[in-house]
Amino acid sequence: MHGPINEVIQFIDLSAYAIVFLFLVGFVGGLVSGFIGSGGAFVLTPAMMSLGVPGTVAVASNMCHKFPKALVGAIKRYKYGQVDIKLGLIMGAFAEIGVQVGVMLQKHILDTWGQAGSNLYVSFIFVLVLVIVGSIVMRDAVTTKKSGGNTSGAPLAKRIQKIELWPMLTFKTANLRISMWFLVPVALATGMLAATIAVGGFIGVPGLMYIIGATSIIASATELVIAFVMGLGGTLVWAYYGMVDIPLVLIILGGSLFGVQLGAIGTTYVKEYMIKYVMGTIMLIVAVSRFFAIPKYLNELQITALAADNVAVMTQISFAVMCFALLTGATIILVSLFRARSLERAVA
Amino acid sequence: MAQTSSGKFPIIPAEKHGNAEAVPAPPPQNKTPFILVVTRNGHMAEPVMEYAINVADRLKYAILAVHANTLPFFRDGGERSRLFATAMQESSTLFRHKAGAKDVQVEHIGETGKIGKIVKRLCHTEKRIEFVIIDQGIRMEEVTSQAPVPVFSVIYTRPKAGRMTKNTHYNPINGGETSMSTTSKKRHVKNCFVFGGLTAGLYAAVFTNPEIIMTYLAKGGLYALVPVAVVLAVSYVHGNFTNSFWSALGIEGSKVTAPKRVDIRQDTTDSLGIRKDTRPRAEVRV
Repeated sequence: MHGPINEVIQFIDLSAYAIVFLFLVGFVGGLVSGFIGSGGAFVLTPAMMSLGVPGTVAVASNMCHKFPKALVGAIKRYKYGQVDIKLGLIMGAFAEIGVQVGVMLQKHILDTWGQAGSNLYVSFIFVLVLVIVGSIVMRDAVTTKKSGGNTSGAPLAKRIQKIELWPMLTFKTANLRISMWFLVPVALATGMLAATIAVGGFIGVPGLMYIIGATSIIASATELVIAFVMGLGGTLVWAYYGMVDIPLVLIILGGSLFGVQLGAIGTTYVKEYMIKYVMGTIMLIVAVSRFFAIPKYLNELQITALAADNVAVMTQISFAVMCFALLTGATIILVSLFRARSLERAVA
Repeated sequence: MAQTSSGKFPIIPAEKHGNAEAVPAPPPQNKTPFILVVTRNGHMAEPVMEYAINVADRLKYAILAVHANTLPFFRDGGERSRLFATAMQESSTLFRHKAGAKDVQVEHIGETGKIGKIVKRLCHTEKRIEFVIIDQGIRMEEVTSQAPVPVFSVIYTRPKAGRMTKNTHYNPINGGETSMSTTSKKRHVKNCFVFGGLTAGLYAAVFTNPEIIMTYLAKGGLYALVPVAVVLAVSYVHGNFTNSFWSALGIEGSKVTAPKRVDIRQDTTDSLGIRKDTRPRAEVRV
């Protein structure tokens, strides 16, 4: 990803359909992002590629759109008192290191096993992380809702917070005190995952919730700061190589800035466990989507020999399921937002 | 007796007070000591005026009355400032009339800005300010922290003067529709158009000049900052546009979970409920 760019980069011509499509995808992505702290970006890269954008340009433009969206979301949620800036910046710095490590790892796999191998690796990680972490989050959401919506805080995190390892850091907004040695691995993992599947938040937010012990609202809000730092760093690298397609970025931003504000507003209306619900739902459905994408790479590596037609269908299903995941998440967010809002206004 | 408007020496009608020795000697310097009376309202409260005049009369001081406009940039097209100036004229006339009855010299000035800073500045001018009297609606702590002389406030049971009445009941401005921010819907709609226009302009600039954009962006190297700068600029205007867009539609954060807003006017003293001695009294706080 960081090597010299030899081929001529064609920035695509955008048709009206493409513009509207990207705007809408941006909006939904922003909505989800503003609500659960991340997760909107990863559908954009495949969406762009399906329109014919070269892979590297898609990734670069995605990154370039991610950091301003995260910034706007973070500012809005900061106004609601949900962002712990200190926590976000410290973790952002380490996440950036994690991104570099992840990129080097990707490059190594690319050199060793080629493009198909790299794609297989990516999809494999996708499924693994999403299934495991998604299930944890989902189970937590269900149990929290059953117990009446009271979050008592993750027991593991409480134990970890008690361990006194210098340096100990205190975070006022997040209301916790923890050793830096526990922040670093979570941040590094966030960065590495971001470099691999373009969504660090799927480890970042659960990590913040279950290992570090922040509430889901603060975790998702602080993750936006981390996403901003990572996005900015990544964009500078990509822009250095001249890979960013500004018109493309602006179209996506056009939609996503609308969505991220709405998502942020939504978090003020819903109970804590809703964020976990949406996150878990999206993660599990996307895991299914990626599962359907795997046969294509298995075939390319000639590990399997499935019929080409079947593989093509499965790849289509994969993309459709991914869109479905985002739409489901967005619907849940919008419904909860407007329901809670009309309730509040009826009472007021 | 005629009242001098700019005399430096206090008028001491010795006949009025009988024994000349009982009268406090005129101040050794040429300067007349002043009492600084400060109000942030257009109309100064009459008990404050009367108290100041009484004390000034006894001590043979002069009065410097200051009407401080603490909201000079209030966005209503200058209406508030105009009303303030008019009220100040009326108040000054009344004050002068009252002071004239006791031969107390009074000067009026209008000031703008923070009360503390005004008091501090005035106390360091050529006028010799002996102490300060503040009207209701001014925070004692703000003035005492800035004033080099003692500060007194006057407690009286009359209703507060001026426009600073405290709303004791919830008064929905938007007909029952609660809004979190203090900006009105009109402001949001206006922002919508302003930022929407700026956003549209920026987008148009980028899309109608694809050649320029491409040459700059594909250059790489130090030009890496160009896309970042462009994107940040767009995010600023578009972010504000989308923000005002949702707010104009009334879709804002929940009031229930909103962090408590600090009420700036917490320290204003309310009129006393119990019926007490209603003569104006000074309250000393050091």
